[in-house]
Amino acid sequence: MSEAMTRSILSDLVAGAKSPATYKVIRSEVEGFLAENGIPSKKHEDWKYTNIKRLFDNGLHFVSDKCAISNSKVSGLEITWSDDENLIGSSGIHSKEVHAALNTALFGKAMVVRVKKGTHLEEELVLNQVVDLLENEFSATRLFIVLEENSSLKCQYHFSGSGAESSLLNHTTEVLVGKNARLELNFVQEVGTGNLMTTTEVSCERDSNFTTNCIQLSGKLLRNNLNIRLRGENVETHLNGFYMINSNELFDNHTHVDHLEPHCESNEIYRGILAGNSTGVFNGKVFVHRDAQKTNGYQSNNNILLSDDATMNSKPELEIYADDVRCSHGSTTGQLDEEAVFYLRARGLDEFGATALLLTAFASEVLNAITNEELRSILEEKIQAKLKEMRA
Amino acid sequence: MSLLTIKDLKARVEEKDILKGFNLTVNPGEVHAIMGPNGSGKSTLASVLAGNESYEVTGGEVDFNGKDLLDMAPEERAREGLFLAFQYPVEIPGVSNVNFMKNAVAEVRKHRGLEQLDAKDFLAFMREKQQLVELSGNLAGRSVNEGFSGGEKKRNEIFQMAMLDPKLAILDETDSGLDIDALRIVASGVNKLRTKNNAFIVITHYQRLLDYIVPDFVHVLYNGKIVRSGTKELALELEEKGYDWIKEELAEA
Repeated sequence: MSEAMTRSILSDLVAGAKSPATYKVIRSEVEGFLAENGIPSKKHEDWKYTNIKRLFDNGLHFVSDKCAISNSKVSGLEITWSDDENLIGSSGIHSKEVHAALNTALFGKAMVVRVKKGTHLEEELVLNQVVDLLENEFSATRLFIVLEENSSLKCQYHFSGSGAESSLLNHTTEVLVGKNARLELNFVQEVGTGNLMTTTEVSCERDSNFTTNCIQLSGKLLRNNLNIRLRGENVETHLNGFYMINSNELFDNHTHVDHLEPHCESNEIYRGILAGNSTGVFNGKVFVHRDAQKTNGYQSNNNILLSDDATMNSKPELEIYADDVRCSHGSTTGQLDEEAVFYLRARGLDEFGATALLLTAFASEVLNAITNEELRSILEEKIQAKLKEMRA
Repeated sequence: MSLLTIKDLKARVEEKDILKGFNLTVNPGEVHAIMGPNGSGKSTLASVLAGNESYEVTGGEVDFNGKDLLDMAPEERAREGLFLAFQYPVEIPGVSNVNFMKNAVAEVRKHRGLEQLDAKDFLAFMREKQQLVELSGNLAGRSVNEGFSGGEKKRNEIFQMAMLDPKLAILDETDSGLDIDALRIVASGVNKLRTKNNAFIVITHYQRLLDYIVPDFVHVLYNGKIVRSGTKELALELEEKGYDWIKEELAEA
């Protein structure tokens, strides 16, 4: 399909959405950006392994009343639905990337979670989005999380349900972590046969602490773009992912950390297990700008392939323009350690039990970053269940 | 009835024949030492008995307590009461010793029709067995063998043996590389576990271990077969004269 036709699909999609009038200015900008760029094909470096354009070429129509985000009640926490144009793209994402721009062009009202200055919430916020899209349906949703100065929040975000194989949910989260604020944001992605495209744009002010963990369990195609900008000094951020990919699934994680100021630290661990004919993609970039002296940046991606037909494409990248930094990165892709399996079997564990113990340990470095024990034990069970599927 | 009967065992690894007709009978209550020069097949024997699939059995039979050992998966052998103390214990990052042992003990007890231990009893049981080899309590929470010294790894093997209470334990060069203190601790752990119902096969390159774990029989393995059997005096003779005299005698014959 030609670029021109893709652009016309985009404009049809955008025209079909009845957006609140208040978004007028920003949306006209976005429409221009979309018209100029179109949906990137596999020729584009960032989309080399992940063909999301195919879904657009097959025809998608916009639905506005599905995949609503629901939330738990947390006392002391303000949750509103907003169409305030000043808020949209306050992190600047709409003009950077087509899928984020498309989200900006289409979402209705955004859920806004705001933690007021000086507020420390004990109770964890649970957000849930049930993906229930039918054939060729496309939906776009937006969430803002704003932590004002000196505040803290823990939040878990579940993508659940199961969408049709020809559908697509485009979800975007904008996160502002204020001065000396702390946020732990855990994503669980488990959407059956559905396709999910997420953008998470995070901006961290000085002395803040931001941790995000993403556990990916099912989906025909999952693509996450996670961009974190460390905009003040003394910020600490942790970004971790764990994925289990089976049969014909494709999970793709693109992360980008911008170190803009001195004395910041970023730690990134992405780990995954692949079976069947599945495909995994990891592309992590740590960008240390000229002024970001005394940066500590650590990144690693480790993969275990359980089948000969699974493919992992891993590309860790480090780009450094400051001269006094400590950074490292690495990537490994291999098979399960057969010697370790034998050692465990020689002590009475059966083959599955031995494998499961080793793979659970492999996951634990990521899982242990999730501070909520209950969530962790739920995830451990889900991981065991998926392992059974993968070994079948 | 004998505990282990090996008849004419032949095995190879990567197309190379290593065991070439190995015979051995072990009765309950006995300690057998198997000595031999490097490359004679000692570790292959241990691996084959434990069920390591990297080794191919090309002939012979092994009866373990009335059952066909070679027909069993490695975990079945362990549950039936065969234990291999590895020459090179494997490091397993992320799996704690306590979690590992909990899983292993549960499988073994289930197989033997024993009641499962509750968390409190299990920890008490584990502490008791740790003391046997003077392993400190904080090793339990650490990952299996990760960052352990050579001596700690070998003591951890004997600790696992104590936890799993095997009928037959094979110690594969458990003494190599140990300092005198660690050797004494490992040997005293083994001696405390000896009963009239269990048996040990001690594979070693050196006689020194046999001063501590006194064997009933000593066998010399050479070129895939047992070429001499005797009592502990044979080990002393080997220590004094080396293996060359045996090689020479065999060459003359």
